[in-house]
Amino acid sequence: MENRKVEPLRERRAEARPHKPDGESAERENVQLQLGPLEERVSMPGAAEPDGAGRPTREESEEPAAEAAGLRLKFPGAPDLLFRDLSLKIRRGEKVLLLGPSGCGKSTLLQVLGGIIPRVTEVPLKAERLKVPESAGIVFQDPDTQFCMPYVDEELAFVLENLAVPREEMMPRIEAALLQVGLNLPDPHVPIGSLSQGMKQRLALASALLLEPDTLLLDEPSALLDPEGRRTIWEAVRRVCERRTVIIVEHRIEEVLDWVDRVVLFRDDGSIMADGSAAAIFGRYRAELRQYGIWYPEAWDDAYGRGISGKGLDGAAPEQRITARAVLPAQESGEVSEPLLRLENFRVLRGGKVVCAVESAAVMPGDLIALTGPNGAGKSSLLLGLMGLLPREGECRYGADAPVGRREVRETAAKRAAFVFQNPEFQFVTNRVLDEVAFTLRGEAEAARNAGRRSVLARLGLPRRRTKPGSGAEAGIALRADECLNRFGLGDYADRHPYLLSLGQKRRLSVASAVVSDKPLLLLDEPTFGQDARNAFAMLDLCEELRASGHAVLMITHENEIAERLATQVWRVEGGRLVSAESTGRPRASRVRLAEGGEA
Amino acid sequence: MKRFFEPSRRTWLHRANPAVKLALFVLLFVVTMLTHRIDASFYLACVFLLLLFAASGYPIWKTALLASGFALAFASASLTMILFGKGSEIWWSFGPVAISKESFYRGLHLGFRSIAFGCQGLLFVLTTSSTGLFYALMQRLKLSPKYAYSFMASLRLMPMALEELRIRRDALAVRGSGSGSRAGALLRLPERYALPLLAQSIRRAQRTAAAMEVKRFDAGSRRTYYYSSPVTRSDAAALLLLAGATAAALLLAQALPVFNLGDMRMVP
Repeated sequence: MENRKVEPLRERRAEARPHKPDGESAERENVQLQLGPLEERVSMPGAAEPDGAGRPTREESEEPAAEAAGLRLKFPGAPDLLFRDLSLKIRRGEKVLLLGPSGCGKSTLLQVLGGIIPRVTEVPLKAERLKVPESAGIVFQDPDTQFCMPYVDEELAFVLENLAVPREEMMPRIEAALLQVGLNLPDPHVPIGSLSQGMKQRLALASALLLEPDTLLLDEPSALLDPEGRRTIWEAVRRVCERRTVIIVEHRIEEVLDWVDRVVLFRDDGSIMADGSAAAIFGRYRAELRQYGIWYPEAWDDAYGRGISGKGLDGAAPEQRITARAVLPAQESGEVSEPLLRLENFRVLRGGKVVCAVESAAVMPGDLIALTGPNGAGKSSLLLGLMGLLPREGECRYGADAPVGRREVRETAAKRAAFVFQNPEFQFVTNRVLDEVAFTLRGEAEAARNAGRRSVLARLGLPRRRTKPGSGAEAGIALRADECLNRFGLGDYADRHPYLLSLGQKRRLSVASAVVSDKPLLLLDEPTFGQDARNAFAMLDLCEELRASGHAVLMITHENEIAERLATQVWRVEGGRLVSAESTGRPRASRVRLAEGGEA
Repeated sequence: MKRFFEPSRRTWLHRANPAVKLALFVLLFVVTMLTHRIDASFYLACVFLLLLFAASGYPIWKTALLASGFALAFASASLTMILFGKGSEIWWSFGPVAISKESFYRGLHLGFRSIAFGCQGLLFVLTTSSTGLFYALMQRLKLSPKYAYSFMASLRLMPMALEELRIRRDALAVRGSGSGSRAGALLRLPERYALPLLAQSIRRAQRTAAAMEVKRFDAGSRRTYYYSSPVTRSDAAALLLLAGATAAALLLAQALPVFNLGDMRMVP
């Protein structure tokens, strides 16, 4: 229980914006905050009372498991308070789910209740009353950053060491904890790196259990897992949580809904909108859930209907929609078009070994191909091979071109296909959002200029010189880049550093900078992975738009719904081989709008 | 890489307490450093090279691969001394380069010593696990757990950073950022790689730190240890082995001198 003074607050009513530490703030600029001067807020402790939804009245006699009353918290450098007199009480043994839009402060609240803030992470906060559980175990989102030791047993022993458990008692406890979470390892001395992501999360749960916590705090434990991992971690949580208080923050709630006692719904600005049973919340606040990007069980139905056609999503902010839709009569399937990509006897190698083999496959314009299969089957290698980033054998035609030789393959692939990596940050090469898109265009313009000169210069044995683009060309590039940003709903952020965008925006920017030059083929590595529903649907909507305009999209995904609802083909990779490439029967746009490769 | 650095068999040196072993090897370094006779340094290099192959517990090809780096160490240490060292008995000279008898032997002496150093260091590294070393240092030498666990945690983060370096390289290739003038690309290199990799690493380190504190890691409080770090008979064996090897080298230098020269600091 720690009370801290809030930093002196600057009064910035006019430019008050909700601030989130992870940069999510940018997407919700339109939210108006009613921010009074500090003195006013101090005198209004009940300002952030929930607005009903049948909040159950509990007897005050019982000592709560965790409680925050009149909590105010502000991140250093943020213009505004994250919580204004927030009050929340959690009873012993209660299973509570905290829901809200990304960046509304759920995770921060969880960290406050778990005692991380301000004990570990120093954030100025002040509360009338703050009670954190005597012992709390926390499972975080990222499976890779929760461990400090190389082996499973050592990691669990680390917890016991901290508790000063005698050495002889360690092994039995370790084995018991592993059993509890369903990790049946014959010998616990296994490298953590060899576990799957889902197993790592269960290991994190096991190490939380070794603390013998009365309260378990789960901070999106399944957000970065595939469906199988998601299922197993929640199974494990349910198994161990019986007599414990459990507080969950999660965007994906299918697996959680039927056993939580209480759902607390937050607004954008960090105040509580509703607090009640799951059924009550879902009855009344479905529209909000949808708007906040929460993966509730019927999210896909609501976004796409029960049919297969990709309807737009009215839940997303309108400026996120792409307006430049291609004029395409979708059902005019007379002519057969040239495939954008054709693979025959194609093999991708890594370290001299075949990691993905494709006997025969083709990507047509208008295709949306879901590339599925278990982890480590070779899906990512296939995409890297298509881009020429891994050595390969066999035939791979990009349209009419069949490049030979590493350099030529890379150049042709870069001209015909765009690749968006899972972590968009790795693809940013400039310090400004606009430049990021313009960079692609400049590179393209330069390549076009050089293409003519190269043959002559090469014959003379002269080195290629870099040519400066004329001011006219530069203006054209800026214009096109700007247009592209507007199309992707990033127009307002043109001058920002790419790193300061929210995750959803970063992904859109990396797609924008990839498709701005009309490359017909777009390769995506799990574009919806770890995203909230709103961003995921926005991304898929984007793919649909591109598809309708004659692009083809090839995406790795673990999401069955994508394969079922949106894909025109499903490719399944297993054990380093493309085992099936089936058409889903969904029509692809039949006419090609793009001049291939955009060389015209 | 993880598999590569797994010994195929365990020797006495593996079983010895890492803290004791560290002390022994530091002592060895000092002895090697204070060797001033070329015969002694030659035999030290030979004996520890043999010991490296015999006692590291790795297959010969792996050891040979790792030890091949010593050739470079030998060349770089000895060549400068041979070519530019001072001496009175000039064998050959050309411009600033003058090979004298003294500089030649001093160069060889330096080279042998660097091989001996290299073998000793590699022998220690190959027979000691980092986890074991830190546990021993915490328990035997009272190293603060704060440093020990931070080091172990950072070792875990290293392969992730390497993986990201690879991804960044691929991503840049996809974006075509390699184009443009060579010099410009070279100048931009640190910026291109440092920013995204650092950003990601810092986030990761911060998260790991939070996770460790949540597991009640507190450097100040009393703690127990999963691995005990006792001093056993293996330590005595390791001591005898290393002392025997050193003694053998020095005795051989006395009994079967190859170069038969005096103190290398004097005129040999």
